[in-house]
Amino acid sequence: MLLPVNTKCECGHQNAVGTVLCEACGKPLEKELLESNEPLEMRYDGVARRSQKANPDLLDKIWNFFSSVKIAIYMIVLTFIGAMLGTIYPQASSFLSNTFDPSVYYPETYGLPGKIYYFLGLHNTYSSWWFIALLVMIGTSLVICSIDRVLPLYRALNKQQIRKHMSFLKRQKATYSAPLAGDAVEWTTQYGQALRKKGYKVTIDETGTALLAEKNRFSRWGPYINHIGLILVLLVLLARSIPGWNVDQYVSIADGDTVPIADTNYYAKSEGFKVELYDNEELPEELQNSGRVKSYKTDIVLYECTENCHDDFERPALTEVHRHTILVNSPLRYKELKLHQFDFNLTPRINAVSPMIVNLETGESYGPFHLTMVEPELNYEAGPYKLELIGKYMDFSINSQGEPITLSNNPNAPAFIFNIKGPGLADNGEVYMYFPLEKDKVRFSQDVINRELSKKIAIKVEGMENVDYSAATTYLNIRIDKAAKYLWVGAFFCMLGLTMGTYWQHRRIWLRIDDGQLTLGAHTNKNWYGLRADVAFALKRCGIELDPKSLDNGGHKG
Amino acid sequence: MGKYRKKVQVVVLLLALVLGGYAIFQTFTSDDDGLVKVGEQAPQFRLANLQGDPVALQDYIGKPVVINFWGSFCEPCIREMPSFESQYQQWKDQGVELLGINLSEDTIAVSTYVKKQGVNYTILRDVDRKTEKRYGLRSYPTTFFVNRDGTLSSVFVGEMKESQIQEHIAQIVQ
Repeated sequence: MLLPVNTKCECGHQNAVGTVLCEACGKPLEKELLESNEPLEMRYDGVARRSQKANPDLLDKIWNFFSSVKIAIYMIVLTFIGAMLGTIYPQASSFLSNTFDPSVYYPETYGLPGKIYYFLGLHNTYSSWWFIALLVMIGTSLVICSIDRVLPLYRALNKQQIRKHMSFLKRQKATYSAPLAGDAVEWTTQYGQALRKKGYKVTIDETGTALLAEKNRFSRWGPYINHIGLILVLLVLLARSIPGWNVDQYVSIADGDTVPIADTNYYAKSEGFKVELYDNEELPEELQNSGRVKSYKTDIVLYECTENCHDDFERPALTEVHRHTILVNSPLRYKELKLHQFDFNLTPRINAVSPMIVNLETGESYGPFHLTMVEPELNYEAGPYKLELIGKYMDFSINSQGEPITLSNNPNAPAFIFNIKGPGLADNGEVYMYFPLEKDKVRFSQDVINRELSKKIAIKVEGMENVDYSAATTYLNIRIDKAAKYLWVGAFFCMLGLTMGTYWQHRRIWLRIDDGQLTLGAHTNKNWYGLRADVAFALKRCGIELDPKSLDNGGHKG
Repeated sequence: MGKYRKKVQVVVLLLALVLGGYAIFQTFTSDDDGLVKVGEQAPQFRLANLQGDPVALQDYIGKPVVINFWGSFCEPCIREMPSFESQYQQWKDQGVELLGINLSEDTIAVSTYVKKQGVNYTILRDVDRKTEKRYGLRSYPTTFFVNRDGTLSSVFVGEMKESQIQEHIAQIVQ
């Protein structure tokens, strides 16, 4: 049912539902408020929140929910509590291992509380639906609260009536009234002049006996600009979930390798990882020979793929775009991409060998031939010998059934099976198994496997110069955060709004003279001391000297 | 200004619903195991087969496809290969394609095993583990069953028995 609500003021202005002080003359509209003698609550200049209606429909009700500052505060408190819960135990996302299982980790490490923690899903607090939902609701509330308040406030401040209601003036927290002797119009002009000196914008109404002086109105927009900044920050955090906007990956690169960086168009080549230790001369005596690390560094060449990037059939065409020596705290930076030193492994990895084939009967050796661990050639020639590669194991082992197998795709224990033709060997060749690493020759008894053949020929590497290996593997953290720069924009608006609202105050002074009686009221949001000083300064210029403190009507702070 | 009030309300609340809905939806989809989800499109690839010719997943649109990731270093992968071969023989007349994607090993390692296992289905060669990563593999073997429309019907992590392979294929043949 429609209830007619009378919101018309005696001055003739039609106010919106929910208005506290008449938008035109400032007279308190509620009966209770009018009869009281307390200083007026000037928040939002007493105008109604935009959304307040006599008969709200569902949309209005949802809108009003988000428009309430009280509810916003509850939501913020809930978010704080949620965020606090997330800090009790480490979040699951902070574990890098592929095999990390939160359902085992939490109960095992923290007992029953850990079990409950996991059960409640708190191991993923910050990416949980309820936490994100709270953030979304706070964001919505920020927008709606701001719209509902800033628009009516803007309207109210944009067309202020100069002559205010007597009770509005007398019930300001700084007020003054006294009989005046001289000409009212002249006095008003003089008072206005004095305030202009203080930087006020002064308007006098057509009768010449009512005045409004105003200063630093822009500071009223501070909170809303601050809110725009906060909304931007929330949107930016949301934008990080767009694919490719926030990459946080790890990549391991053995010296000399070029590897693709997942989720990007880049490839990285490591030209070598090095750990440098301090020399004894650089160390105090008690630390000498303790192996203090001076630096961890990786020389990286960054390539961008220019052709065949999303096609694994064709080889990608790579163009070098950047090179950098990555140190701790000195990542490689290229556009939005950053590569940080993260970890390392000093286990060498064999890449290729250049062995000789030796005829043990004559003692003559032939070669060398170049044998790579990955994608080796299938046929080799060394002197009178012809070798055909017929099998290969990267990480040789014997399984429970006694069959040869490879344990991994890494050359930890490479083994090659050749069919060798040559002098003193069978016409269709004889099979020879070759372990490039000395330790494996012994471990898997190469000579026993090759039986008779091991007395006729040998494949041997002479000297380390014939072994190509990667001395180390570097682990890099790949970061892309496209949202970060927008975060700065958000932070800028936040700070701008905060500064505007903090270091400037909106000061207003109203006065009217009726039949030789001066009534003056003044309002600011803070620093009443300064405002009273301004009022008193101008009064002094007009010949009224008083203690600024005497303007105090009570009820305020500062 | 009253006339725009309703419009502003609708626009703001709708935006909040769309953006907020997206954000909340994200929290459900980005779960931990990283595997391609059932119902989603199987990620595209174009890889070389053993003859060195390109084979792309989209060549098989309209056909049920089984994608099995395997490596010679993965014993259960090798153990299940004969079961896949026998199931392939059983289903191939109904248009079922079986793609055995090797886990970025080199030519000799792949061809030795394929010869040894005597498989006839298509073997493809992944490069730099890219396809494997696109499918979000965490452990081997992992097998993906793809519907005729290219969406994922099911994922099986671990060694499969022949009966299990049969059940899964029966679902994508329908």
